[in-house]
Formats: sequence, C-alpha cells, structure tokens
Amino acid sequence: MTDVLMAILVAGFTSGALYALATVGLSLVWGSMGMLNMAHAAMLTLGGYVAFTVITSLGLPVAIGFAGAIVAGALAGAILYFAIVRNLLQNDKSTFEANVMIATVGIGIALENAILLTYGGQPLKQPVSIAGALRLGPLTLPWQNLLIIAVVVVMMVVVSAALGRTRMGRAIRATAQNRDAAQLMGVAVNRVYLQVLMLSGALAGICGVMVSSMTQLSPPLGNDPMLKAFIMCVVAGLGNLPGAIAAALGLALLESFVQYALGARWGFPSLLFVVIAVLIWRPSGLFGHAEIRRM
Amino acid sequence: MTETRPMSRSSMSRSARTDLAISLMLIAAAIALPFLVDSRYILGQIVLALFYATIASQWNLLFGFSGIFSLAQMAIFAFGGYATAMLCFYFGWNVWAALVPGALGAVLFSLVVGLACLRLTGVYVALLTLAIAQTMYLLIVTDTECFVMVGSVCRQFTGGAVGFARFGDLGTRALLRAQWLVGNYAIIAVLFALTMVFTYAIVKSPIGLAFRALKDNPGYAVARGVNRFQAQLLVFGISAFFTGLAGGFYAAHFQAIGPGVLSMSQLMFIIAIVVVGGVGTFWGPLVGTVVLVLADELMRESGEFRTLGLGLIIALSVVLMPKGLVGRFGDVIDWLGRRRASPDSKPAASSIVQSPTPAGK
Repeated sequence: MTDVLMAILVAGFTSGALYALATVGLSLVWGSMGMLNMAHAAMLTLGGYVAFTVITSLGLPVAIGFAGAIVAGALAGAILYFAIVRNLLQNDKSTFEANVMIATVGIGIALENAILLTYGGQPLKQPVSIAGALRLGPLTLPWQNLLIIAVVVVMMVVVSAALGRTRMGRAIRATAQNRDAAQLMGVAVNRVYLQVLMLSGALAGICGVMVSSMTQLSPPLGNDPMLKAFIMCVVAGLGNLPGAIAAALGLALLESFVQYALGARWGFPSLLFVVIAVLIWRPSGLFGHAEIRRM
Repeated sequence: MTETRPMSRSSMSRSARTDLAISLMLIAAAIALPFLVDSRYILGQIVLALFYATIASQWNLLFGFSGIFSLAQMAIFAFGGYATAMLCFYFGWNVWAALVPGALGAVLFSLVVGLACLRLTGVYVALLTLAIAQTMYLLIVTDTECFVMVGSVCRQFTGGAVGFARFGDLGTRALLRAQWLVGNYAIIAVLFALTMVFTYAIVKSPIGLAFRALKDNPGYAVARGVNRFQAQLLVFGISAFFTGLAGGFYAAHFQAIGPGVLSMSQLMFIIAIVVVGGVGTFWGPLVGTVVLVLADELMRESGEFRTLGLGLIIALSVVLMPKGLVGRFGDVIDWLGRRRASPDSKPAASSIVQSPTPAGK
C-alpha cells in the first residue's frame, strides 16, 4: 500500500512541477501584458525538439542541449513580439486581448505544423534522461523524476529572483501593476514586453525538454500540459504566480490519485469538474481577488 | 459607434437596403449554381462550405456581436450531430424527426456549459470552454466500454473513435436518385439562408442591441439595466440551436459523424473564417468562408503545407486587417466616398461634434 501511495505521490509531484513551470510561463505573460499566449504549447514542443537536435544530431553534451532549448524558446518569444505583439499593441487597446489570442493560436498551429514537417510525426526519444532510481529504505525515487523536480525548483528560484531582485524584474512588476504609470516613470514598456516574452519562451523551452524526457517527443507534445496549465491558471486567477504553483501541485496530485483510482481516462475530466466547482464558488479564482475595473 | 448616430435614420435604411440587395443577389446565385456546376466534387465542397458558413455565422453572433469568446462552438456542433445520429441509431428514428430534438439537445448542452462558464469574462471563458470541448473529445475517443453488440461487433455508447455511420439520410437519394447531391445542396442552402435571416433579425432586435451593448461597454450596459448573465446565456442558447441544427444536418448529409469534428484544426478553421471575413460584421463569415475554402483548395495542391498556411493566414490577417476583409472593404468605400464628397465635408464634421448628446438615448 505504501509503495502505491508513494508512486502516486511521486508521479503527482513530478507532473505538478511540470505543470507549474508551464503555468508560470503563461501567467507571467498574462500578468504583465494582459496577453494569453496560445502559442505557448508550440514553444514547449520547440524546446524539446531543439534539445533533441543539439544532443542527438550534433552530438553535443546534454548541458548545451538544455542551453539550446532555452535560447530557442527565448528567440521564439522575441520573434512573437516583433512579428505580432508589437503590431497589435498599436491598435485599439480594447481589442488587444482577443486579437492577440487569435493571432497566437495561428502562430501556434503554424509552428507545430512546421515541426511536424521538419521532424515527421513519429515519436522520438528525448536523450535528456537518466535511468535508475534512488533507493531510500522502502522508497524508490526514479532519478528522472528527481531531476525534473530539481530543475523546476531551480527555475522557480531563478524566476522569483529575477522578478524580485533585478532592475528588469522591478520594471516588469511595475508594468504589471500599472502600465501607464510605469511608462510615465520612464520604464520602457515595450522593452519590458519583449523581456517578458523572452523569459516566458525560455521557461517554455526548458519545460518542453522536461516533459518530453518523461514521455516522448512528438509534435503535439505541448498541448496536453498546456491545456492543464490553462485550467490551473483559471483556478489560481491568471497572473498570480504563487497561486499558479500551488494550484498546479494540488491539481496534479488530485489527477494522479484519480488516474489511479478510476483509470487514466478520468484524470482530466475530474480536474475540469473541480475547476468548475471552484469557479461557481469563487468566480475570480481561488487566489484572485475580485477586480474592480474601470469600464 | 456614436458618431454615426445623428445620421442614423438615413444610413440605417441605406445599410438595410444594401443588405437586402446582397441577399437577393446571393439567392439568385444560389439558385443558378446547380445549373452551372457540373462537377460532383465541387458541389460537395460547396455544401461543406455552407456548413462552415453556418457555424461561423453563429460563432460570429457569439464573439463578434456579443463578445463571448467561446471555444466550445465545435463541441456544440458535434453535440447536435451526435444527438441526431444517436436518436436515429438507437431508436430507429427518421433523420428528419431527429433533427430538431438534436438541436434542442445542443441548446440544453450549451446552457449547461454557459451556466458553468458565463459567470466569467473574456479569456477565462475561452479557456474553460476549450477545456470542456477537449474533455468531450477525450471522453469520446477513449470510450471502449461495450454498450450494444451490432452483429459481432462491439459498439460503444458514444461510438468511440469511429463514431456513427449508416443511421439514415435526408431521403434525397430515394427521391432524386443520381441528383441527390443537388437535393442536399438545396436543403443545406435553405438551412444557411434561414440561419442568416434569424441572425439578422436577432442582431437588429432590441435584445441584439443589448448583446452588442454588453460587448462594447459592459459596465454601461449593466448600469442601464441589462442583465449580463441572462442576456449572454440567451445568446449562447440561440446560437447553439442553429449550430446544433447544422450539426444534425451535417451528420445526415455525410451519413456519418465522428470525433474528428471536435479536433482543434476544425475549430481553428471556423475562427479563421470569422477573423478573415470580419469579426462583428454580418457578411463577414460568408466572405471568410469563400476566401478560406478557396485558399484551402489551392493549398491542397501543396498538400502538407495546408495547416501551416492556415495558421499563418490567421495570424497575418489579425495583424494586417483587424476588421477583416469586410472591414477593409468598408474602409475603401469610406475613403472613396470622402474623396468624392471632399468639397462639402461639413455634415460629416458636424455629426462628430454632435455625437455625445444623443448617445445616451
């Protein structure tokens, strides 16, 4: 019984860590720019495939593969900014929210399809993986899961340090709180947007490598974690980073319990029911507070 | 919006006359079409395009006119189709008898979805409806439990990954023999025309104004006594009726329905149609359907680049023409009109100055 429970907990914490990474990437962009990046899933996939190419095809060490995924994600974020976001920001602000969502849906489809055309649809094996497990008495902890949790914790520390301690982080938080005021205080808001998209792209790249190391590389790789990250964002309230992490962990644990008890098929539907129940009780999310917006 | 107010009477009737002229031309074209088109393939694609246009017009009613960013449109369409197919398959109903119950089932489903989602606003609605649509897809595809045995084959309750087939058709095959496709074309064209007429009536009616007010300025609309939740639930249900009805006809026309209609690419195609045509314009979905189905046919030559091209078309048209083709066309007309009327531009200027006063009416 304890090893079953342990296995469920390990699986839950691992996927929770992955979801948290995906959710934070989304939430960061939403919180600072009011933009929902539907191309985030494709950026995840991109990171996984870039790491694969660097390590397998070019034969470079794993660390460089990681770096490649980070750089590719950040670049994708930058391209997204220059090609789409910068242009849409010039239009009417009230239409930005919906327009940017539709545009990034288009970019996401195009990117996923470009990956499909380049690498083919057959699943590939992500070389970033460690075999074996850590044995602590009766407990068996696979190294792979420990690696994922460690990487995610490190990334969270890096992100919170970048947001809390650096000049860039202060500019991002100022823009998130009040874009106009930040701009009047001399914050280059456009540069902040570029930085946020690059940061979130880099997070997506790492997340893609980690997700694919648990399963396999395939073009729709990012869609499943993204869909779950979406509803986690809804539960936590978009733009709330600590809330996003807590919701990701809680829902992932719930998911792995349900999957064990009722079968894998009911994992996602049960999450959805919980989310809807939460929203009926608290429409602005568990940790969000009712927003008073000037219409 | 407000600056057109003072000249509203004359411009309203002019726009109504334009709409009437366009519809009459379209009806004439629709009647002439089967005599002009010989190829079965082309006629089949036109029928498919009419389905897309119907679904897109209803998504436009939701998103373009009422500001509800629902991504459950294909789920509601599929629900109507599945309900019709299952009534015929399990109870042996005639397809024609099952169409309206199927559509009503879709309305019921949409009200449940609406009750869960419409307390939220903006992107939260989009995320939650997307999650619901994906859940429906996953539950259907992974359904493996035997519900009935058909011959020696096990059938799942939802049809599983295969879906339903051979549950009846619209009766045109028995009636028109070789010309059955023309018969189906006529039926679907009438469905599309009725949908457009009802949509027009809704958009121009007082309740349609309430929907638009909620989209343009929710705070002001609510302050004027519009109940946001009720009004949005109502438009959700109305659009679900036509969407579900289209789903039933779709299942009947193809004599099959499967989980494929729930796929992301189908949803994206509908969104692309509305975005390219013009969000919140009455003729936008039709224009978008024509353009995108043509583009799709052209890209069929290049086969594998189809989805890639579609994605780029969506992104580019949002960036380059936020109001779609219809909006761009309107800009061109305005520009021409202003050029012609440049000597006496006084009325236009005074109308803008006057605008704040009657806006509260």
